[in-house]
Amino acid sequence: MRPDRARAIIMTSAAAMAAIGSTLYLASYFAGGLLALAALAIFGFLRRSELGAEGFAAASRSMLKAAAVPAIGIASALAIGAAVMLATGYDPVASYAALFYGGLVRNWHISVLNATPLIFTGLAISFGFKGGLFNIGAEGQYFVGVMAATWLGLKLNLPAPLGVPLVFVVGMLAGAAANLIPAALKVKTGAHEVVTTMMMAYAIRTLSPMFIRANGGDPASSAHPYATAQIGERLWLPLFKDVLPASNYRLHVGVLVAVAAAFAVRFVLDRTDLGFKIRAVGHNPIAARTQGISTARITFATLLISGALASMAGVTQVLGLDHRMFQNLNAGYGWNGISIALLARNDPIAIVFAALLWGVLDAGGQYMARTASTPNAIIEIVKSVILFLLLAEVVYSSSGAAIKRFLAGRKAARAASEGGRS
Amino acid sequence: MTTDPRAGPVLETRGITKTFGSVVANSDVSIRLERGEIVALLGENGAGKSTLMNVLFGLYRPSSGEILVRGEPVRFDSPRDAIKLGLGMVHQHFMLVPTLTVTQNIILGDEPSVLGHIRYRRARARVAELSARYGLEVDPDEKVENLPVGLQQRVEILKALYRDAAVLILDEPTAVLTPREVDELFATLRRLAEGGTSIIIITHKLEEVRSLSHRVYVLRKGKLSGERATLGTTASELARLMVGRDVVLSVDRPEPAPAPEPIFRMEAVSALGPRGLEALRGASLAVGPGEILGIAGVEGNGQRELCETITGLAKATAGTVRLGSDDVTGWSVARRMDAGIGYVPPDRRASGLVVQFSVEENLALGRSDRAPYSRARVLDRAATRASATGLMERYDIRASGPDARASTLSGGNQQKVILAREFSRNPKFLLVSQPTRGLDVGAIEYVYRRILELKESGVAVLLVSMELDEIFALSDRIAVLHGGRVVFESRADATNPAEVGEYMIRGAAAGPAARSEA
Repeated sequence: MRPDRARAIIMTSAAAMAAIGSTLYLASYFAGGLLALAALAIFGFLRRSELGAEGFAAASRSMLKAAAVPAIGIASALAIGAAVMLATGYDPVASYAALFYGGLVRNWHISVLNATPLIFTGLAISFGFKGGLFNIGAEGQYFVGVMAATWLGLKLNLPAPLGVPLVFVVGMLAGAAANLIPAALKVKTGAHEVVTTMMMAYAIRTLSPMFIRANGGDPASSAHPYATAQIGERLWLPLFKDVLPASNYRLHVGVLVAVAAAFAVRFVLDRTDLGFKIRAVGHNPIAARTQGISTARITFATLLISGALASMAGVTQVLGLDHRMFQNLNAGYGWNGISIALLARNDPIAIVFAALLWGVLDAGGQYMARTASTPNAIIEIVKSVILFLLLAEVVYSSSGAAIKRFLAGRKAARAASEGGRS
Repeated sequence: MTTDPRAGPVLETRGITKTFGSVVANSDVSIRLERGEIVALLGENGAGKSTLMNVLFGLYRPSSGEILVRGEPVRFDSPRDAIKLGLGMVHQHFMLVPTLTVTQNIILGDEPSVLGHIRYRRARARVAELSARYGLEVDPDEKVENLPVGLQQRVEILKALYRDAAVLILDEPTAVLTPREVDELFATLRRLAEGGTSIIIITHKLEEVRSLSHRVYVLRKGKLSGERATLGTTASELARLMVGRDVVLSVDRPEPAPAPEPIFRMEAVSALGPRGLEALRGASLAVGPGEILGIAGVEGNGQRELCETITGLAKATAGTVRLGSDDVTGWSVARRMDAGIGYVPPDRRASGLVVQFSVEENLALGRSDRAPYSRARVLDRAATRASATGLMERYDIRASGPDARASTLSGGNQQKVILAREFSRNPKFLLVSQPTRGLDVGAIEYVYRRILELKESGVAVLLVSMELDEIFALSDRIAVLHGGRVVFESRADATNPAEVGEYMIRGAAAGPAARSEA
C-alpha cells in the first residue's frame, strides 16, 4: 500500500511539473523546458523501476526508433531545401539560421499561434480517419466555428467564465451541425463524405462575405473593409501575459485548450466504449455490424464529433486572436489539418507536435524571408518534402509487410545462389 | 498411367528449402512427377504446400535447392518462365476477369496479335478445339460472371492448356465445388492424365487423395513426412502423417432426445439478395434444444440471406423469426445478441474479426459497453485482459498474448477466438456458418468437438455448410436449401449424402428420382 501511494504522489507531481513546464515553454519562458525535462526524467525513472533495466532499454530503443523516422524525414527535407537554395543562389546556412532563430526563439509565439488552429483541425481529421471517414471539409467547419463565435461575441454580454465556455459549446454544436447533412447522406444513401463535406465547405465559405457584411463589415470603409466588427472584450481568451509578463502580448491560452483537446481525443478513442466502437467500425464495418454495433450511429457520431473539433479551431481563433471575423479564406487551416493528421499518423499527441512543427516552419519562414531575403517558397518545398517522405514511409510500413518479406526473401535467395556458385 | 520409363520425370525438385526471415516454410523438399501421373500434395494449412507451389510456379525463389524440368535444371524468375516451360497453375481463387468472355479470359496476357490487333477469331477456334478435345465443355463466348463456379474452374484449366501446359498444378480445386462438380472435375483430370498431362493436386482432404491420385506426398511443418502409393496406404495412415498423431474424424453422436418445443423457429421467411431479387423464399425451419440442424446447399442458394435475416443484419420481407416465445423479426442485431442468438459468420477475416484489433479487443467486440469490458462506458483494460486470458486458456487459443493482433494468428486460432467469443456469451441458439472453411484437420476436429459440446449443454444449433461431410458429421437433422427454398428435410440417419447431394443440385425436382435411386 505505502509504495503504491508514494508512487502515485510522485506521478501526480511529475505530471504537474510537466504541465507547468511545458506551459511556461509555450509562453516563451524557455527555462520551463527544463522543468518538463525533469518531469520526463522522473517518468523514465519510474518506468525503469517498473520494467527492469532490460525492458526499459528495449522500450526506449523502440521509442527512439519511432522518433528516428520523422527526424530523418525532416532532416532530409531540410537537406533538399538547402540543395534548392544552393541551386537558386541563396545561402542555406544564413537562411536556416534565420528560419530556426525566427521560428523557435524570436517569433516562437507566432509559431504557437500558427499551430493552435492546426491542432484542432488535425484532431478533427484524424478522428474521422479512426472511424474510417475522411472529413475533408474541416475547412468549412472551421468557418462555421468562426461565424458562430463572432456572432455570439457580438450579441452576448456575459462575464468570461460563463461566456467563453458557452461560445465554445455553441461553436462546437454548430460545427457538428455542419456535418449533419453529410452524415445523414452517408448513412441513408451511402454518399461519400469526401464529396459531401467538401461541397459543404465551399458552400460555407461562400456564406462568409455575406456574414461579414451583415455583421459590421463594410467594403467601403477603410477601417474594416473585409472584417466584422470586434467582439466584446469580456469574451476574449486570457493571455499568457496576464500572469507571465515576459510573454508576447498576442499569445493567448487557446493552445492549452488545444492540447487538452488532444488528450481528450486520445482518451475517447483509446479508453471509452464509444472510441472502441469507432475504431472497430473504422477497421472493419462488416465485422462491427455483425457484432451488433450500429455502424450508422457510429458514423453519425464520428462525423459530428469531427465537425465539432474542427469548429473549435475557428472559435479559438476568434476569441483568442482575431476578435472578429476576417474574410481570410487563404489560411486553409482545414486543408492543412489533413497534412497534420497524416504527418502524425492519427496519434492525437503527435498531432500537437506536428502542428508545432508546421507553425515553426511558417513563422520561421516569414522571418527568414524578411531578414535573409530567402523566398518563403523554400519552406513550402521543405513542408511538401517532409510530407512526401513520411507518407511514403506510412505506405511502406502499413501495406509494406509483404514487400519487406519479399525483399528479404530475394536477398536470402541471392545470398544462397551466390553462396552456391562460389 | 502411361509413364514412359525413358522420359524420366517431367518435373522434379531437389532439396527445396524456402525461408522467410527466420521462418522455414519448406525444408529440403524433394518431389518428382512423371508424365501422365496424378500426384497429390497433402498437408494441413500452414504445412508449406502453397509455398512449394509458389516456388514451382516462379512466384518465390527457393532459398536453396533446385527445380528440374524434363531433367534440366531451371530457374524461374517469374510465373512467365514457368508457363514457358509448360507449367500451368489453377489457383484456389480464380484469376479471371468476370466481365470478359471465356475466350478473352483465356488469351489474356498471351493474346495472338498482329501489330496490336488481336486475332480473336483464331483464338476462339483454338479454345473451342481445346475444349472439345479434352471434354471441357464451355461456351467460348459466354461472360465469365455468368458461369457457375465449376465452369469457371474449367476456364482456368483451359487457360493453362491453351498455353500448352504439360504439368497442371491445382490448388485446393474442390474447395468451391458441389459434389457433382467434383466428380466432373476428377473425370476431366483423369482424362487429361491419360492424355499425358501430369497433374499435382494440392489438398487437405483425404478422400480426394484416395479417389484421384496415383501417388501422394505428405507435408508437415514444411518437411516431407511421407510419400506413398495411393493404393498402398490408408486414410488413417495419411492422417497420421499429416497431423503427426492419430485423429478421429467421425464423431460419435448420441441418440437425439425426443424433440421438445423448438428454441428457434422461422416461419415462411423471405428476403432480398444483393441484386434486389428474392433470394430467400418462404423458408421455414425449427431447431430444438440440444439439436443440430444442418443446412446443406450449394453456395449462393440463399444461405447468406438466411444467416442475415436470423441475425438481424438484413430485414425479412415476409415471415417471422422467433427465439423462444419472442418474435424477434423486427429486432436489431444487438438486441438479438442480447436475447441469446450467437453467430459464427462464414468468413472469419471479413465479418468475424477486426483483424487489426488484438485478441482481447476482438473478444470484447459487441460487448464493449458492459462489464467486464467497461465500467460507465470507460474501458476496463485490466478486467478485459483477465477475461481474455481465461478464454484463451479455455479455448486453447495460441497467440503470443491477449494483446497479439488477430491478423497474426493462424486460421484455426482466429476461428477459436470467434468460438470463444460466441460460446462464452451463453447463447440459447447458435448459428454457425461454414465453421471449418480453410481449416486443417486438427482445427476441424477441435471446432466439431466444441460445437457438439455446446449442443450437449442444450443449445439449439443451426449449421450452414457447403461441405456435405461436415453436415453429415454433425447434424441430427438435415435440410437442403435450393433457390432460397427448403426443398428437403430429414433426420440425418434417414438419408444419405447421395440423396442430399441430388437435392442440392436439382432442388425439389430431385424428389422422386433421388428416392428411387437411394
